[in-house]
Amino acid sequence: MSGQLQGGSPSNHSLAFRVMRLCRPSFQAEEAVLRLLDPLDLLAAEDILVDPSLPPDDLLRISDPSTPDAVANSDFTFRDRFQIRNPVDAMALSGLLIVPQSFGNIYLGETFSSYISVNNSSKFEARDVIIKVICSGLLPLPKCFKHGYQQIFQRGSLDEHVPKGVVMYPVISLWDSYCCFLKKCKAEIQTERQRILLLDTSKSPVESIRSGGRYDFIVEHDVKELGPHTLVCTALYNDGDSERKYLPQFFKFIVNNPLSVRTKVRTVKDNTYLEACIENHTKSNLYMDQVEFEPSQQWTATRLETSEYSAEANSETRGLLKPPVLIRAGGGIYNYLYVIKSTIEEFGQSKVDGSSILGKFQITWRMNLGEPGRLQTQQIYGTPITQKDIELQMLDIPPIIILERPFQVHLSITNQTDRTLGPFEVFTSPGISNDEKFVMVNGIQKLVLPPLEASNSNIFDMNLIATGLGVQKISGITIFDVREKKLYDPLPDVEIFVDTTTTT
Amino acid sequence: MTGEEPDAGGDPPSVAIADPLLSPPTSPLDLPFDVPSLLALSRRGQWRAVLDAVAVARRSHGLLPHHHLVCLAVSALALSKLRRFSDAAAEIDALDAPLDSPRFRFESYPSSYPGRSGSMVPFALRFLHADLPQRLGTRSVTVDRLYALFDLVRSKILEETTTASADLWRRREVFVIASLCCNHFVHREFEAALALVRLLLERDPSDPLLLSRLGYVQLQIGDLTGAKASFARLENLHPSGERTVELENLVGRNKALEFIVVKDYAAAVREYEECIERDPADVVALNNKALCLMYSRDLSDSIKVLEGALERVPTAALNETLVVNLCSMYELAYVNHGDVKKTLSNWIAQVAPDDFDPSCTRI
Repeated sequence: MSGQLQGGSPSNHSLAFRVMRLCRPSFQAEEAVLRLLDPLDLLAAEDILVDPSLPPDDLLRISDPSTPDAVANSDFTFRDRFQIRNPVDAMALSGLLIVPQSFGNIYLGETFSSYISVNNSSKFEARDVIIKVICSGLLPLPKCFKHGYQQIFQRGSLDEHVPKGVVMYPVISLWDSYCCFLKKCKAEIQTERQRILLLDTSKSPVESIRSGGRYDFIVEHDVKELGPHTLVCTALYNDGDSERKYLPQFFKFIVNNPLSVRTKVRTVKDNTYLEACIENHTKSNLYMDQVEFEPSQQWTATRLETSEYSAEANSETRGLLKPPVLIRAGGGIYNYLYVIKSTIEEFGQSKVDGSSILGKFQITWRMNLGEPGRLQTQQIYGTPITQKDIELQMLDIPPIIILERPFQVHLSITNQTDRTLGPFEVFTSPGISNDEKFVMVNGIQKLVLPPLEASNSNIFDMNLIATGLGVQKISGITIFDVREKKLYDPLPDVEIFVDTTTTT
Repeated sequence: MTGEEPDAGGDPPSVAIADPLLSPPTSPLDLPFDVPSLLALSRRGQWRAVLDAVAVARRSHGLLPHHHLVCLAVSALALSKLRRFSDAAAEIDALDAPLDSPRFRFESYPSSYPGRSGSMVPFALRFLHADLPQRLGTRSVTVDRLYALFDLVRSKILEETTTASADLWRRREVFVIASLCCNHFVHREFEAALALVRLLLERDPSDPLLLSRLGYVQLQIGDLTGAKASFARLENLHPSGERTVELENLVGRNKALEFIVVKDYAAAVREYEECIERDPADVVALNNKALCLMYSRDLSDSIKVLEGALERVPTAALNETLVVNLCSMYELAYVNHGDVKKTLSNWIAQVAPDDFDPSCTRI
């Protein structure tokens, strides 16, 4: 028994909706049924041609697919299910397409396309048929029955007892009967999402659907909301007794999130980089047709990519086989890297701070036979970096540093504002950790620097000494603006190698 | 057992009576069954009859080691075709020695095969041995065996001394690579599939079948630009004036696919109709044309095309994919589709070969 569920009470309705999701077809590889072989490989030893005394022509004739059959009545032949014509045929891809065999998954950004057929399986004509198809986020439900709705909704789920087949089965009938009743009583119905009308024949009703006949249509809907959706199909018609009947049927599907995009903004020296990682949450491999970063007005973005695809030795095949960007199903990732530059030339370097909007991503992916999906990310912001009025840089470290021998490092201090700053004090601060420091200032602990005018730099030396061997860090060199009482972030750690005295 | 040669088949050699099948020394295709008849049965899909013939052959007297192996290969193939995969695997496992064992080499039986050397294993047996595990649920074993077979074939190509023999092994190499490519494709491992297609194209960059199939893999992935380039390359290498009907249809069907991608189903149908006019048994064109009609909201005509194909050219059209598509259309078109599917199923049972998979009607 096919366990078909119908909306309303089946025996009372002449009409019924048949709904099938119409995503694009796929290529069928027929290797499960066909194992094509060369008869020579079946009937002869594999080293048959090693013996030069054998007449190869006789043997090879067996392989020839055009040899007529010895037995008469060779019209009725399934030769192509047995004998291979060309070894490449083992790929089993003849180009045969197969319709989608199950509803599959549907994702945000895709287009939900569906074949809908209104069948008249009764003995009587149905006349003046008004058909409406609405796609809504959730079923309409009366406020007081929200809890009950959940239970019925889940009980009527597509996953239960649905025989193998491509046609969608409607949600269990109880609820839609109840909804009709509510509509008649004009009860208050709460709809939680927008209802989108996909088809409405009210203006020109279908005059007649004869007994055994059908009225077909295809609807398409760009999926823009996540979560459970309902396709509400209704038909209002006159049945054989000229009674005006109302048939509602509800088909449920769930929209999932296909991708997540994680971004990171980093500033390295003078450049700002945007790194985006796209993760595929779907059950299919996604071909990234287009991933474009659209910067906001004050920025330009250039994609950086390695040419992993090395020059093909065979130039004829080169153009054909550029590896596509294919992100694997169920958690595969792919990374994109961009350099962000300011379009407005400010003095000094362009700074990306936490409040600047960098732009957003437009992503188009494709699945079988080009089935597209499109998504756009939200605005991406630069990471918050404190604007540095004073830039401190380590210019120079001596190549050889000997334990317990003082050495000099050269530093520069740059005033990146438009006013004079300073005077300054430079010292090493203990830092956050309580680790013992093996590199310290030799001599006066606090260096005083004179004030610095706008956009000017000053180079100065610090005298340091190392008290530990091996790899050590110069850390905690800090600048303090005496007048403004402003302490700046310390210079990032610099690694040095401390050697023993070289003995001759 | 000193002085005795090892026996490949497991049965003790019986005393040779004047048996017309046995003529020493054997030429390699003297088999214990009538080869043309067996091939005819295979081409008609009568695999139960093939099994019977092999059973009879196995009972004959004076079978030589290579006879046993050929019988095994044919029997394993017939059992696979009848979807009796565990039986087929059991038969091969009963060999009790790996296929590379000296037991299966001519030089181990100098009195039976004087002066002959080499492996007597039919290559198809190696392939079946590799293919069967995935039918029994262990796909990874199949993949391992196929790649091992790939290695074996490659080393044979380097060893072979005669051109004919090297060519034969090269064909087998293409066969194994193509089988691996198919396996990866079915399991949606498209990067591996593409890498193998690349390998095949290096050997024959202008093969139209290969270029088409590259296009199909690219289309399945969604790489429309790649597919377009592959199809264009095919057309450029084989210009219109010089094509056979088969090639013309291949080009036409590829054009139709490009129309399907942009949802121009009417144009795709026109291309397919031209193909069908050139070759009324072009099942791919018939099947895909029906799909285009369905996607154009014309379910009735799509059903007519498929039913018509089964009626007019049954041996070509009787194909599991076509039947699956037809049954999907029945389910959509008829509320009570059980009856119409049953009619189809009964007709199939009368007309189809033994290896036809009846589950495709989904009754």
